[in-house]
Amino acid sequence: MTTHDVELIDIVKDFESGGKLVRAVDHVSVQIADGEFFALLGPSGCGKTTTLRLIAGFEQPTAGQVLIRGMAMEGIPAYHRPVNTVFQDYALFPHLTVEQNIMFGLQMEGVNKKEARKRAAESLDMVRLPDVGARKPHQLSGGQQQRVALARALVKKPAVLLLDEPLGALDLKLRVNMQYELKALQRDVGITFIYVTHDQEEAITMADRIAVMNEGKMLQIGSPREIYEHPGTHFVADFIGETNFIAGALLEQDADGFGRVRLADNSIIKAQLSPTLNSARGAVTVAIRPERIGISSILDPPAPSGPDIDPSEFTVLDALLVDSQYIGTDTRYTARIGDASELVVRVQNTSEQDISAIAVGQPVKISWQPSSATVLDH
Amino acid sequence: MSVSSHLLINEGAMGRNRAVRRLGQLGLWLNPVFAYFFLWAPILILVLFSFNESRSVASFTGFTLKWYNNILNNVMGAERAFSTEIMLNAFRNSLFVGTIATIIATVLGTMIALAMARGKFPGKKLIDGLLFLPVVIPEITQAISLAIFFKVAFDWIATISGERIFPGFHTIIMAHVTFNISFVAIVVRARLADMDPQLEEAANDLGANPWQTFWRVTFPLILPGVISGALLAFTLSLDDFVITFFTSGVGTSTLPVFVYGLLKLTVTPEVNAISTIMMVLSTLLIGISLVLQGRSASRV
Repeated sequence: MTTHDVELIDIVKDFESGGKLVRAVDHVSVQIADGEFFALLGPSGCGKTTTLRLIAGFEQPTAGQVLIRGMAMEGIPAYHRPVNTVFQDYALFPHLTVEQNIMFGLQMEGVNKKEARKRAAESLDMVRLPDVGARKPHQLSGGQQQRVALARALVKKPAVLLLDEPLGALDLKLRVNMQYELKALQRDVGITFIYVTHDQEEAITMADRIAVMNEGKMLQIGSPREIYEHPGTHFVADFIGETNFIAGALLEQDADGFGRVRLADNSIIKAQLSPTLNSARGAVTVAIRPERIGISSILDPPAPSGPDIDPSEFTVLDALLVDSQYIGTDTRYTARIGDASELVVRVQNTSEQDISAIAVGQPVKISWQPSSATVLDH
Repeated sequence: MSVSSHLLINEGAMGRNRAVRRLGQLGLWLNPVFAYFFLWAPILILVLFSFNESRSVASFTGFTLKWYNNILNNVMGAERAFSTEIMLNAFRNSLFVGTIATIIATVLGTMIALAMARGKFPGKKLIDGLLFLPVVIPEITQAISLAIFFKVAFDWIATISGERIFPGFHTIIMAHVTFNISFVAIVVRARLADMDPQLEEAANDLGANPWQTFWRVTFPLILPGVISGALLAFTLSLDDFVITFFTSGVGTSTLPVFVYGLLKLTVTPEVNAISTIMMVLSTLLIGISLVLQGRSASRV
């Protein structure tokens, strides 16, 4: 895509707190494409909401530029920006009816009452709440209020919709339903969504791209698949999903983006280098997802097969099975490798496997493809 | 009574205990009766004697509405008795002072409350604390300080411009405004504290400038607090004696000041009647004020 709806250029935001300067956003730069569903993901206090508020215009950056549709937003107040926000607690006006809430933004634009009423009704239809226009917000359930907040923002047809943990206050089942609905809605209206969340599953399910934030920095920006499969840093690997970390020493880097790492037990494995890797040599961490590891009894060594797999490159380590847990869809094994660190292995229960015959305390072989393991800075 | 106490306490001690407990229960029951009696008896007597047929407060001779009727007739313009005419004049003064002081104090008090709740400026905590001062300092102190302030200010104006300003409605109104601002500000602030500040951001986000945001969102939401504060201010103004006494001039007596003057001579039944009316009015206004304060800001 060639057009950028939102562009942040080297944004810094400092807050004063108790006489001290606290850096909430630390040199953030990102380009968000037209029609993209972009998630800002991170733990609470990571600066994601502040970033959103800088785009909305509720906060002014200490340094850097916010561009919306190529226009510099410096000095432009929130009420003149072509963005609308869905607030975490919805922030519906309690003294107005649902219809008046939705008409509010249109009337501020000078749309006449008849037209505003028509568009409010269309907007309520869009979020599938056609009959609640005359009610007051407190008469609606949390999920309904959430839809009204969405309708109120979308009726303005903004260039960008900002969503601040909009599903945070809903219960789990409703939240999962709303995830799909939001995604479908975004596809229909074609508006750029910038979505703040601390829930990695939410981000992975809905977003086209995710920016993982921590301590004010954007650590990694990429598609859910990239972020999950190739985390750039220890934090990202740890924050998104479950990950095993193995300490090692990087011996050499290959030209094809792989490197050789020596583990504590002197075994040498091949693993993919993270694109943001700083260390050329020395102490590193190898990250690998539990479901990418295979496990087998020593009597029955793994037989890797497939078009891209070179059996000689396949990583196989000796380990000791220390725990085995049946969790329905999967079985979760814990295996201790040479340096005494324990790796979690998840195997899908596709059938009543004979692997379950391996007793805890038995030696096993664990194995993975080199491309499943990522070398990160220590 | 539990089983263990049966076993441990002998019959005589148990009987004594029961008597003491019964006495205690009687005392507890009588406590509010006495408390409410002392609280309400003087007021009840006032209300009762406002319906007394006899002019004297020595004895109740029979039920009548004629004192209320007298007041009413004077309002209607019939049968003027000199003393009641002055009293009604004082009542009109009270309403006039109360209305003007309430309007000014409500506007200023609301503005202060908004500044305190939303503004960021150095010394905010100190100013916030100072706001409560008129509520806690003795009324007589405030009255004397206002009297001295007006004297000094008017002397100063006289030396500069040669014009001497005398106390009158303007001084009473200014004095009432000073103490009422605090009450209004405190009530409105409580309302603002209850309001979600994100609502103002939401209005901003939807394209409302600060002016539109205030009138379309903030003001409707704090309006119950503003009305409540205004009613409180009006009641306080209507009832005030000490500050008014020290800041009023000739011919500007409000009703409480007038009643005080009458007490030096005699209490006429019309005073009882008008006091009863004032009490009912005040109670009503404070009642409405409390109801408005109690309503949640999230469910308007």
